[in-house]
Amino acid sequence: MEYLIPANADMATSGGLPALLQQQPVSAFADDSQAFVAALSSRLLTDPACRAMPDLLALGFWFRAARLHSLQQKYQQLPYLLKPLGLVFHNTPANVDSLFMYPALLSLLCGNVNLIRLSSRAGASAAMLLSHISALAVEYPALQNRLQFIRASHQDQTLAALMQKLDGRLLWGSDQAIISQRQLPVAAHCRDLIFNHKFSLALFGASALLDADDSQMATLLELFCRDNLTYAQQACASAKVMIWLGTGEQIAQAQQKFWSKLSHYLATRPQLTDSEHYQALASAQQLVLHSENYQSWTPGPIQRLQIHKLDDVMVQLHPGCGLFLELQLPALSDLALQLSPAHQTLTYWGLNPAELSVLQHQMLRGLDRIVPLGQALQFSEVWDGGDLVLQLCRLQTKPSIQC
Amino acid sequence: MQPLTEEAPYSLSAAEKTPRLLAELQALTGHHHAHCALYQRLLRSLPATASSAATLAELPYLSVRLFKQFALQSVPDDAVFKTLYSSGTTGQPSRIVLDKDAAALQSRVLVRIMQHWLGKDRLPMLIIDHPGVVKDRSNFSARGAGIQGLAFMGRNHCYALNEDLSVNIAALSEFCRLYGQGPVLVFGFTFMVWHWLSQLAPGAVQLPQAILLHSGGWKKLQAQAVGNTEFKARLAEVSAIKRVHNFYGMVEQIGAVFVECEHGHLHCPASADVLVRDPQSWQCNAVGQPGVLQLLSTLPRSYPGHSLLTEDRGILLGEDDCPCGRAGKYFQVLGRLALAEARGCSDTVASGPLISASDARSR
Repeated sequence: MEYLIPANADMATSGGLPALLQQQPVSAFADDSQAFVAALSSRLLTDPACRAMPDLLALGFWFRAARLHSLQQKYQQLPYLLKPLGLVFHNTPANVDSLFMYPALLSLLCGNVNLIRLSSRAGASAAMLLSHISALAVEYPALQNRLQFIRASHQDQTLAALMQKLDGRLLWGSDQAIISQRQLPVAAHCRDLIFNHKFSLALFGASALLDADDSQMATLLELFCRDNLTYAQQACASAKVMIWLGTGEQIAQAQQKFWSKLSHYLATRPQLTDSEHYQALASAQQLVLHSENYQSWTPGPIQRLQIHKLDDVMVQLHPGCGLFLELQLPALSDLALQLSPAHQTLTYWGLNPAELSVLQHQMLRGLDRIVPLGQALQFSEVWDGGDLVLQLCRLQTKPSIQC
Repeated sequence: MQPLTEEAPYSLSAAEKTPRLLAELQALTGHHHAHCALYQRLLRSLPATASSAATLAELPYLSVRLFKQFALQSVPDDAVFKTLYSSGTTGQPSRIVLDKDAAALQSRVLVRIMQHWLGKDRLPMLIIDHPGVVKDRSNFSARGAGIQGLAFMGRNHCYALNEDLSVNIAALSEFCRLYGQGPVLVFGFTFMVWHWLSQLAPGAVQLPQAILLHSGGWKKLQAQAVGNTEFKARLAEVSAIKRVHNFYGMVEQIGAVFVECEHGHLHCPASADVLVRDPQSWQCNAVGQPGVLQLLSTLPRSYPGHSLLTEDRGILLGEDDCPCGRAGKYFQVLGRLALAEARGCSDTVASGPLISASDARSR
């Protein structure tokens, strides 16, 4: 086990564990926690080196001081007191370079002591984050002890011993990785938060799209690309499936209009690398060979496949990279039975209030978020079906005033 | 009219070749449609124009990766005579099956192409590898298949390396003593030839009349900053070999080999062709615009590999007008497409890297 933060950590152990793990939690939304997070946020927003890293800019923006203040107010209004869980372990996957920082910083704000295991394959964003956190060590020495970063193999003995001491675990990864991590025994009271593989959808009203004028189309394309191509369609909230709501004829016309405008839009604003384009094409062919559910392949700058229904094959095999599966839906009620727990975000555009109401009330399984087009990648403290702050705290019943 | 495989490899101009190539490839599309259910499924997913292509560019093409993911074959299992695997170091290898006819045709075409470069006489042949690489005859690796395929072209074969890839000094000295003063054929994979050279001192081997054929890509050597110029200089210094032909080809389209001429250009033989596609649109690029290589070959009948989108980048240099005088398209390979990077929080790559990082496969 190697410490990245705090640098030069004392590896002297007590009971087989680093002494640093004896750190005590602090109160939820403590002043110094908020000051540290706000300082990190402003560093990310002002460092010129971060400008080319949209994920870090978004992270910095989300955790700006004003947000911290409104978060604190929101949770202070609850009829409970928020108390830290204690020692929380975060196991981050290789390809989530900075997303893990949202729950990590929320956990820090909740007062927990956090130990974050970085993948040995962590990339540029993670490295940039570490350098900014290290730079804050002088000003906030105590915070370094509550936001520790390590590298360790899954077989590491110290790590295995640590599992017994945890009060909470955040597990990121593929479904398989999550299942194998859950085999590691933890204390009976330890709370698990799971961020497993998710799959997202976009829902378009065909008739609204046919009615859209040039300026509405321009906005639509911009929002569509922001949601789905910012991270090469690989963000869990980026849609892999486009669901078209309408009659067969409306949908055919709407598809024609949408994709030709998008091709035109992308011609001057390429969003994907050559390798990503290849990945999309190869995956389109792979899906077609995999099952009869995948038909009508339209090659081009964006790969399109028509599908009959949502299935598990796409959840497992779709690599992002600019491949859109299209589902024609005559009525929204046909969607409910196709949804599963893997389905996370549904972004929508061009729905009428009645359709929105059906979406909100009739989808009982699947869908953690239903948000307008353009907001797919906006993080929220309510994520993957749970309130992260409430899950990262214990809710203590307030003593009654009469006592 | 006889099939293109029977033509002299560099004799046909575009006007003569293109219509015949298109007709033969369309016939192959029909053949695989009839005999490979998976291929049929892919064709059905495409617009009807794909099955009745009016130009080479309209022919449907398969990503080479599909041969790693699916058993694509147009012959029944009991007709399989030889199974070839790419020797990728990561992920699944590609799997290619040949029936008796396909294996025979592939050998015949390879001989016809190579005779153009080497002459009709079988020359004493030095193989820059170890004999173990061809031992398992039923399951060839790409390296084994490449060596086996070219061994046809020579006689008195000598393997220059031991199992541990050290130089077999005794065998090498004996070969040079017996044949060093006459014309000989030397063959090896590019990185293996470089490994061989790196173990030898200047002037250690004297093969002044040798022709070296090598293949397998430059990726491993690029990591050591070795390019074609340095490769040739070192070769001349160590072994006095001055005639060198690199060639490009892949196990997924065995028999289609593209040999480098005296001007350093890779040439399409009569039975094969190349298109370059812009990955941002997948439209075909003109001469001089780099893109992803699509290979066409009239050979594959036992598996649907007559039109393949490779994972290699390349550039078309011209057609029928190479200063060497050979007819047909000529091009350059620019290396492998990079691996698509994982971004955002998708985790679907759990099923293994879809773009193989393999470099050792025959190409």
